[in-house]
Amino acid sequence: MKSLIRLIPFLRPYRYQIGLGFLSFFIARFFEVSTYYLVSVGIDTIEILGGSADSVLAPFSVGQVATVLIFSVMLRFVFVVHARRQVRRVGQLVAYDLRQRLYMTVQQQGSDFFSKMGVGDIMTRAIQDISLIQRLVAFGMIQIVIMVYAPLFGVSAMMYKSPALTFMIMPILPAIFYYGWWMSRQLAVTSVAVQENLSALSSLVQENLGGIRTVQAQAQEDNEIRRFGGVNENYAQAFYSQSRVNSLMSAWMPFQASAAQLLIIVYGGSQVLAGEISIGDLVFFLACLNMLLQPIRMAGMFVTLVQRGAVATNRLHEIFDAVPEIRDSPSDNTPATIRGEFEFKHLTYSYPRAAEPVLKDITLQIKAGESIAIVGRVGAGKSTLLKLFTRMADTPRGCLFLDGHDICDYPLSQVRSQIAQVLQDPFLFGEPLRNNISYDDPARALDLVWDSAEAAALRETIEAFPEQMDTLIGERGVTLSGGQKQRATLARGLIRNAPVLILDDCFSSVDTETEEHILNRLKTMRRERTTIIVSHRVSTLRHADRIIVLDEGRIIEAGSHAELLRQGGAYAELERAQTPGADQAAQRRAQVTAPL
Amino acid sequence: MSRRTQASQVRAETDHGMFDAELSGTVLNLQLLRRIVGWLEPFKIRLAFSAVLILAASCVTVMMEIIISRVLVDYIIVGEMSSHMPDLGMIALTRWVESYLGIEPIFAAGLLFLLAMCVTAVAGHAHRLTLISAIVNALRDLRQDLFAHLERRPSSFYDKVPTGRIMTRVTNDVEALYEMLRGMGALVGEFVPFLVALTIMLSTSVKLTLILLLLVPVVGIATHFFRNATQEIFRLVRNTVSSLNQNLQENLSGMQVVQLNDRQARNLDEYTQINQRNLGYENRSIDLSTAYGAFNDSLAAVGLGIIIWYGGGAVVQDEMSLGGVILFTRFMNMLFTPVVMLGEQLNVLFRAMASGERIFQALDWDEQIHEPTHPVELPARLRGKVEFRDLTFGYSPAVPILKGVSVVIQPGEKLAIVGPTGSGKSTMIRLLGRFYDFDRDRIFLDDIDLNDLRSQDVRSRIGVVLQDFHIFSGSILDNIILGNPKISRERAIEAAKTVNAHEFIERLPEGYDSILVERGANLSQGQRQLLAFARVLAADPEILILDEATASIDTETERLIQDGLRKLMTGRTSILIAHRLQTIQEADQVLVLHHGVVRELGTHAALLALKGLYYTLHELQFQDVSIDE
Repeated sequence: MKSLIRLIPFLRPYRYQIGLGFLSFFIARFFEVSTYYLVSVGIDTIEILGGSADSVLAPFSVGQVATVLIFSVMLRFVFVVHARRQVRRVGQLVAYDLRQRLYMTVQQQGSDFFSKMGVGDIMTRAIQDISLIQRLVAFGMIQIVIMVYAPLFGVSAMMYKSPALTFMIMPILPAIFYYGWWMSRQLAVTSVAVQENLSALSSLVQENLGGIRTVQAQAQEDNEIRRFGGVNENYAQAFYSQSRVNSLMSAWMPFQASAAQLLIIVYGGSQVLAGEISIGDLVFFLACLNMLLQPIRMAGMFVTLVQRGAVATNRLHEIFDAVPEIRDSPSDNTPATIRGEFEFKHLTYSYPRAAEPVLKDITLQIKAGESIAIVGRVGAGKSTLLKLFTRMADTPRGCLFLDGHDICDYPLSQVRSQIAQVLQDPFLFGEPLRNNISYDDPARALDLVWDSAEAAALRETIEAFPEQMDTLIGERGVTLSGGQKQRATLARGLIRNAPVLILDDCFSSVDTETEEHILNRLKTMRRERTTIIVSHRVSTLRHADRIIVLDEGRIIEAGSHAELLRQGGAYAELERAQTPGADQAAQRRAQVTAPL
Repeated sequence: MSRRTQASQVRAETDHGMFDAELSGTVLNLQLLRRIVGWLEPFKIRLAFSAVLILAASCVTVMMEIIISRVLVDYIIVGEMSSHMPDLGMIALTRWVESYLGIEPIFAAGLLFLLAMCVTAVAGHAHRLTLISAIVNALRDLRQDLFAHLERRPSSFYDKVPTGRIMTRVTNDVEALYEMLRGMGALVGEFVPFLVALTIMLSTSVKLTLILLLLVPVVGIATHFFRNATQEIFRLVRNTVSSLNQNLQENLSGMQVVQLNDRQARNLDEYTQINQRNLGYENRSIDLSTAYGAFNDSLAAVGLGIIIWYGGGAVVQDEMSLGGVILFTRFMNMLFTPVVMLGEQLNVLFRAMASGERIFQALDWDEQIHEPTHPVELPARLRGKVEFRDLTFGYSPAVPILKGVSVVIQPGEKLAIVGPTGSGKSTMIRLLGRFYDFDRDRIFLDDIDLNDLRSQDVRSRIGVVLQDFHIFSGSILDNIILGNPKISRERAIEAAKTVNAHEFIERLPEGYDSILVERGANLSQGQRQLLAFARVLAADPEILILDEATASIDTETERLIQDGLRKLMTGRTSILIAHRLQTIQEADQVLVLHHGVVRELGTHAALLALKGLYYTLHELQFQDVSIDE
């Protein structure tokens, strides 16, 4: 219930629409009862005309009654359509708002949030939970209306006609309602069983197909098929049980309605015979009874709808409540354009909930226009260090300065639009190549896009595609190779022409020759501007003004290629290992059966 | 040999895109229906019962209305018994009950009504149960056949077709068929009472019935228009919804790129536009469906007006009784429901047609691994020599993954394969497991060409531990035995003891009978590895293939794993895709694979001395878990 209260702010903007809808429903009900009433008047008129009571003159002709009746039907139509439309549209509007809210929220989140909540999880919430709430708002409100109005109108209309007969039927109604509610609860219980069995079946299939290689490698097909047979049978059983309850309900509901009808037939019939009510009244009673019983089926469905909606609301708020990890709190005195000078002062950084810091006591100055290369083993802290440059991770204050100001004082969007970073994992969107390369600004001139593709040694590849820059990438389009993807993401970084460019090990799938070519172009392009590059290859590293060697979160060596070689430390070791044919003698000594 | 090559090429070109082609199912495919009926066949007696029961239930339901209108109103209240109006003998029956039990006519009518309502309830319930049980069982069988068929498709199939699509066939598509069959059943359940009521109405007043029937085409036309209009809207809604989802999904997957490019605002803009378009279509579809639903209700009420109008005149001229008029008002709803329902069911039917096509396409998909016509029988125990001879292979012929790979592994030897991702390591072991078709005279097991062996025979001699090896839901013991009747509980426990798995298994609350949840999530990575070792050891294959896990494991477990692995490899030819330095050091040969080519082959020491690719890899990648012995 508490979670449903959290839904109220989403409904509030539409309170007038909802109120109007409820009013229309009310008026529509009135005309519905009028219709039944007019039928009864018509029947009484026919009875009088039929001659069983010649002495009395009929007040209206059947034509008059029928005309008013059809008129009332039309009015009901107008109001019902209006009412349902209002309320169901509110459902869609709420869904719209929820989607917007979700989209905005997730865009502000950082890696910690996404490590706790996977893409699949967020997608499920965006798809299923929003749709559950939409259904709760639209159909739940309609059901409330039915549950309130139908008995209200039914009972008052019956009281108006014959209080005695109404009182006769009243006692059995609570029983019918209670039983209807109980039955539909049963139905909810069995449908939970069906859901559970279905998800057991789905997860078995998923598990099985996911491990199909193991299954086949172990020759387990027959076993698995047998196992599936068991789950399949259970599901069929559960389904059948649910259908049985469902069918029982389909049998019981009319049966109980018939029981009430039976009372009307016997008691009401006697009243007619006694001349207390007319035949028309009897028919009116039968019609009102139907209306009265309408909400019975709904009660159980309503409870399910509310329960699911409450869970969905909670799940969505788990996203809405997430506080962005990176605080955007710009101060006014930072320059509008950055030059690209960084200073790390004794920076120690650990991820939230991690015991060990990833970066320990980093002190480093990067001059504007300098090119810096970073090298280190897997897990040395390279990627974390890069995250700090673009504030993808939040540094403590007073540890990292950009052009002399604490990096936390810059607006986030400035940091990210003036520092370009190419990630290790080449991610491309399912869009045309052009949009992928000029991702930060889709309106950029095509020439510039081609230039950056050229700089990333991708021109020839793109020219080979029939649709060139308009080639669609991804599942529905062209699948690029790992190296092509890396070069495309590189082009995406280069095109921004940013004061600072960061390349995170983004040549791993590019062959050395092409890499050399790209790096040479880069040197001219990035002259006088800060470039930071992470790589494992000495052939890449050596181009940099300065090389930083990271190990276990600390800087262990820093200097130019030549300086580090002279030092004879870790970098020198790496250089030796990667230089082909460095140790000819060893090669000859080794007993190697290398094929040619 | 050329025939084989050709065959494998044809297979490689099988268009797997077809498998997820959007099947429209816009036409009523009778052949498809006939195939579905094939699965219903075994339950035909149930279906026949169901048909009889619905007829009985419908007749009794109609009788209840006759009791109200003809017996109560005409006979009891008005006291008129005009013989030309049908009453299905109800009036006579009431009089018989009256005199037999000596009660008031109104109570006799009540008694009959009570009886009829009991029969309706029971017969209706029995009808639904028999029908549903036939459908549920038929579809259970269909689903079973479908799963069994898919389970035996080869790896080449599973490489190309995303498992999500295959899953949909087994789950959603079969569900769609259920909806359709159930809908057809429900339609019959509406049409039979409709026909019975129609018969009664016709014999009461032909003219009034015909006038009212004129409304049916109106409902029909409205339904038709509604369907056409909504089909287009629904399509647009579906499209915008899937654009919304796709946009969000992509944005989520590439969130880092989005944030690094400061694209949030622009992306939100794009999303908002789709969201607004979607809202527009949703609203249009709401407008249509609310109008249509209310229109049908209202038309039925208009019918009431017509009945009063016409009935009034007819009663005066003594063509109809008052009860007859009331009977018509009571039947009014029964007249339209089937038409409306037919409209609804058509959508379900078309959807189901597409699902049916997908199901049968899957059932007809006969892609499989080539099996020899005259297979060579393997001896009871292999020596365990494995040879790759100038093997060139690609999943599609144009893109070779392995190029001229040759290596001989002598019985009992250990070969470690190293190389960067994508170098073809996994492909080598997949081919050895006969998961794909390849040319003759390329891979040999004890000098027998693998193409001359049944894939099942090959696989039963090779124990495979993949990186993310599969834990089946079930007990620990089930996971070691894997349904092999030759492995006793004792042998399974023995195997677990040998590979150091016994200790952690014993510590579990129910030991070997502990149930593993999905994918063994309640075990640690290391424990799962040990369990996989036990599984292989229990099966005792001559050849072991291991794709070593890359994940880091605590030192103690690591020691157990290394020790278990050593015991597992004893007396077995082993091929290891190795990531651990220790594993590689202990191998008899190390094969360095790069872009599908064997770049270096020799012992660890020899390759290190070579200072080539292996040396570089060694420096950068191998995890030295440095276990002190």
